[in-house]
Amino acid sequence: MASRKNHIDRMILIVVLFLLVSSIVVVYSASSSWALNNPHIRSAAGLVNKHIVKVLIGFVVMFFAINIDYRKYKPLTLWVLLGAVVLLIVTRIAGSEAKGAVRWISTGGVNLQPSEVAKFALIFHLATLLSSKGTKLQDFKKGFVPLLFWVGLVVVLVMIQPNFSTGAIICVLGMLMIFIGGARLKHVLLSLSALLPALVVYMISAPYRMKRILSYIGFANDDSGIAAKDNYQLLQGIIGFGNGGIFGVGMGMSKQRDLFLPESYGDFIFSIVGEEYGIIGTVLFLLIFLLILSRGLRIAKYAPDDFGKFLAIGITTTIVLYALANTLVTLGLVPTTGVPMPFVSYGGTAIISSCYAIGVLLNISSQTDLHPRISEQPAVVSVEQEPAVGRVY
Amino acid sequence: MWNFFHKKNEVIVPELKDYTHRLLWVKVIFIFVFIGAAVRLVQIQILDASKYQDIAKKQYEVRVPLHAQRGNIYDRNGNLLVSNSQFVSFSANPKFSGQYARKIAERFSKITGKPIKEYLEKLQSSKRYVVLEKAMRPDEAEKIPVDSLVGVVKSNEPVRLYHYNERLGQVLGTINAEYVGVSGIEQQFDKELRGVDGYVVLQKDGKNRARPSTDYPREDPVNGNSLELTIDLTYQSIAEEELKRGIQRTQAEAGLVVILQPQTGEILALANYPPVNLNEIKSVDLLRNRVVSDMYEPGSVFKIVTASAALQNNVTTLDKKFYAENGSYKVQLAGNKMRTISDTHPMKDITFMEAMAYSSNIVMAKVSNLIGPENLYNEARNFGFGMTTGIELPAEINGQLKKPVEWSGTTLNTIAYGYEVGVTPLQIAAAYAAIANDGMLMKPYIVKREIDPLGNEVFVHEPTKIRRVTSRETAQQVKTMLESVVEFGTGGVVKLPTVTIAGKTGTSRKYVDGKYESGSYNASFVGFFPAEKPELVCLVMTEKPKVGYTGAVASAPIFKAITERIINNNGLIAKTVTTPLQETTNKEDKSIEVVPDICGRTVNDAVRILQQHGFQTKIYGKGDEVMRQYPAAESIVERGTYINIMMDEETPLLAGMQKVPDVHGMSVRRASNNLAANHLGVTIIGSGVVVNQFPGSGTAVKVGARVTIMCEPKALTAAQLY
Repeated sequence: MASRKNHIDRMILIVVLFLLVSSIVVVYSASSSWALNNPHIRSAAGLVNKHIVKVLIGFVVMFFAINIDYRKYKPLTLWVLLGAVVLLIVTRIAGSEAKGAVRWISTGGVNLQPSEVAKFALIFHLATLLSSKGTKLQDFKKGFVPLLFWVGLVVVLVMIQPNFSTGAIICVLGMLMIFIGGARLKHVLLSLSALLPALVVYMISAPYRMKRILSYIGFANDDSGIAAKDNYQLLQGIIGFGNGGIFGVGMGMSKQRDLFLPESYGDFIFSIVGEEYGIIGTVLFLLIFLLILSRGLRIAKYAPDDFGKFLAIGITTTIVLYALANTLVTLGLVPTTGVPMPFVSYGGTAIISSCYAIGVLLNISSQTDLHPRISEQPAVVSVEQEPAVGRVY
Repeated sequence: MWNFFHKKNEVIVPELKDYTHRLLWVKVIFIFVFIGAAVRLVQIQILDASKYQDIAKKQYEVRVPLHAQRGNIYDRNGNLLVSNSQFVSFSANPKFSGQYARKIAERFSKITGKPIKEYLEKLQSSKRYVVLEKAMRPDEAEKIPVDSLVGVVKSNEPVRLYHYNERLGQVLGTINAEYVGVSGIEQQFDKELRGVDGYVVLQKDGKNRARPSTDYPREDPVNGNSLELTIDLTYQSIAEEELKRGIQRTQAEAGLVVILQPQTGEILALANYPPVNLNEIKSVDLLRNRVVSDMYEPGSVFKIVTASAALQNNVTTLDKKFYAENGSYKVQLAGNKMRTISDTHPMKDITFMEAMAYSSNIVMAKVSNLIGPENLYNEARNFGFGMTTGIELPAEINGQLKKPVEWSGTTLNTIAYGYEVGVTPLQIAAAYAAIANDGMLMKPYIVKREIDPLGNEVFVHEPTKIRRVTSRETAQQVKTMLESVVEFGTGGVVKLPTVTIAGKTGTSRKYVDGKYESGSYNASFVGFFPAEKPELVCLVMTEKPKVGYTGAVASAPIFKAITERIINNNGLIAKTVTTPLQETTNKEDKSIEVVPDICGRTVNDAVRILQQHGFQTKIYGKGDEVMRQYPAAESIVERGTYINIMMDEETPLLAGMQKVPDVHGMSVRRASNNLAANHLGVTIIGSGVVVNQFPGSGTAVKVGARVTIMCEPKALTAAQLY
């Protein structure tokens, strides 16, 4: 069955472009004071300039990805994942320290965040595995365990970096994909429950994690340490939201960014959105991510093949999960941890990799009839049949 | 939906269906979480928004008070008595200045004249903070080369300056640490003197620094009004000097002088002994103004009331004779008790006038029986006894004048010669002024004018008549009696060839703790001159004089000396007074101004902007853009201040150079320790928490250079961290 040559999902493209463009505005506002007061920068536009470069690269990467047939990735996913695993190990051994955690690897001026790479590599490979397992997935040993192996490997490597939040999110993502892929809920719950003791050990092994958790629950009153710093940041973040009220204080008028709210242009940028654009802005952002969720899962539902389906699910859930996690952190609903707001937060590789992922999603959409009129039967397409190339509208 | 829990090993549910279900599940969960986040947003951004907006405002905005300058106090001739200045204090951290201790001690010793040892001891102590000199005068402080003294910290503090130390001490009163008047004129006119503090609302950033902004709500301070007293500094000085001399002669415990103008009630001098040095108050008790706050039994000086009442009620004339019982008069009291009234000068038949001249208690007692309780009481009330005079001084008391119904059997007679009645010295002086003013009682007052900072009169005190105490004729007769006291009676000692003085001596036993203390007297003399046309009333009172206890011996000579000096107009103030210090003036051209933000501007722009705001400029470094400025934008400084401009091309760090650390937000002590630890000196302006520093953090300076830190009280900045 020949795949219909469809348009890419313009809605997703538009909202993502909207997010990227608004991120330049918001990051400029949120970072100017910090940049100006940074002895190494001393210019209000110092940080946003770097951000703009990343956004431009993101654009380019996205348009490349839109035009690459997603099926071409399938044979490569294993090797990319293996590469990412090696990268993770290398970083652990020889990475540069950032905030006490080894999360970055510097290669000729470009800071690469291996966990970011590994995350997408894992999603891609899971899509490959899920699409070829079929009903075998119901089998614990043959179907489930091999999948679990890859998820476990990546999560452990990311966590020992140590980067708990990304590890946890990757874990949730992986399990979600396996679950949607048809694994039995029993297996999923079983493996998750097996994780619990490991999680506890992991928590206790690092005092700062413990403090974060305890302070979140309200048991620790540690004024000098991480908890106090977290609380201060969280409080300042919430003050930002509250100060915005319904309509916000206006574009570029944030005051929380004037050295009150740490990371105001990074993980806590949502608070600046809330301050400058009020609840209108914040709810709009949430709706945009809901839209991406809805459209992305729709692409998955009608994707021409299983690989595309699982890839679409993985990409969509990754982006939406990050957006949700970031929102919950800034709103103080889950313990403070470093999760960027996709497309919006100032940040290196995250923007580029998210843009790339969206490009892939859009490519899938270009080969998907999102409004099947005849029947709800899935279009089963073999890869060899017609390696279609997605079109840019 | 939950049925797939039970699908054990059943075969093949169509995969698609499974996916769709599970996809839906995931979607629903996501949507629920989104809704949860949205609910939280509604809570924060709508329901609780005002709470967070308040917190935000508190942390962005700092109300910096612009202190109003307290008004000055002048005497009637425009002599400045009280104004404001700054004192300079020096402190040090021995830990840092230790090795330079000798050099520092020598320097200070040279300026202050104190022994080197005194400073060395402080500098070599194990404390972390020692005060080397407190409240130094600015001109002296300038001689201390703080810049070259490692670890020495200089700080300025505003100070209320009493130019004449102990002159008029109890009248002027004092202020507390918060600059609020707590005694004397400072207390009574606190509201007028204080003015209204203004403020500027500055925007602050998270590091507690002023944030560049174009507008800031501002309320300029309104400086306090100045007061012009009725006091004549010359008379005051004469009064204080002669009182002191007299008290040294008589070895009295305390004393007081009141000089007032009978026609107006203006107080020209009001002296208390022991004096109080307002610049260095040793005991709060010294601040008590006996003239209005202490009650005395007046003794014979009260006899004018009896005389006035007798003459007014026609019970006697000046020439009517009374038998003075040869100095001892037994009075029959109820219940067969006897009471003896005695006179110091035993006499037989004397006229009423002679009774006054020789101060006969016996005759006055006899006359009082003729006057009757009601009339005598009314006369005393008319003279103003038993109630405050209403003078603008705090803590004035009523005195004590019982109503006739409360009188005992002896009261009528004893009041006649000044016992069983409590008066303040001011009441006595005012009563004599009423006689001198032909029977019209004037309200005594001490503040002549209130002048606002621009020199406009806010208030002018006009003389206030209280009431006619007695007829002009009666007053004239009483005056004649008082002249006779000086002419041939007990007050002869004050007689002067150049002027006729009318007056009265008084000696009363001191009533202490419910009984009359033996050998303990209040001696007073009160009079006015020239008797024909009185210009001044003067009351002198000494408490417990030891060398001659009577009014005639103890107090009259003081009265005479004062009168003599006033009349001969040799009333030059002996220049024992302190030279007035540098004053902080509130001239128009020195008004304060907020420094504009010029960072990022070109040199020419910056200079132009600053000049428009009335500032001068100093440019440092090279380059096109202004990188830093000091004082920082939003600082409040006087117009004409030099604004230092740092250009963007900074000089690289050379050997012997040092980067200035950031001390914003630190306490003064922490900041100075921090700077000292970086081998930098420090000059402190203000107190509390550092809000500004110069040079700014990161600036390269020579090792040992001086960093100026501007501080604000902590209370202000406490708001910042919510």
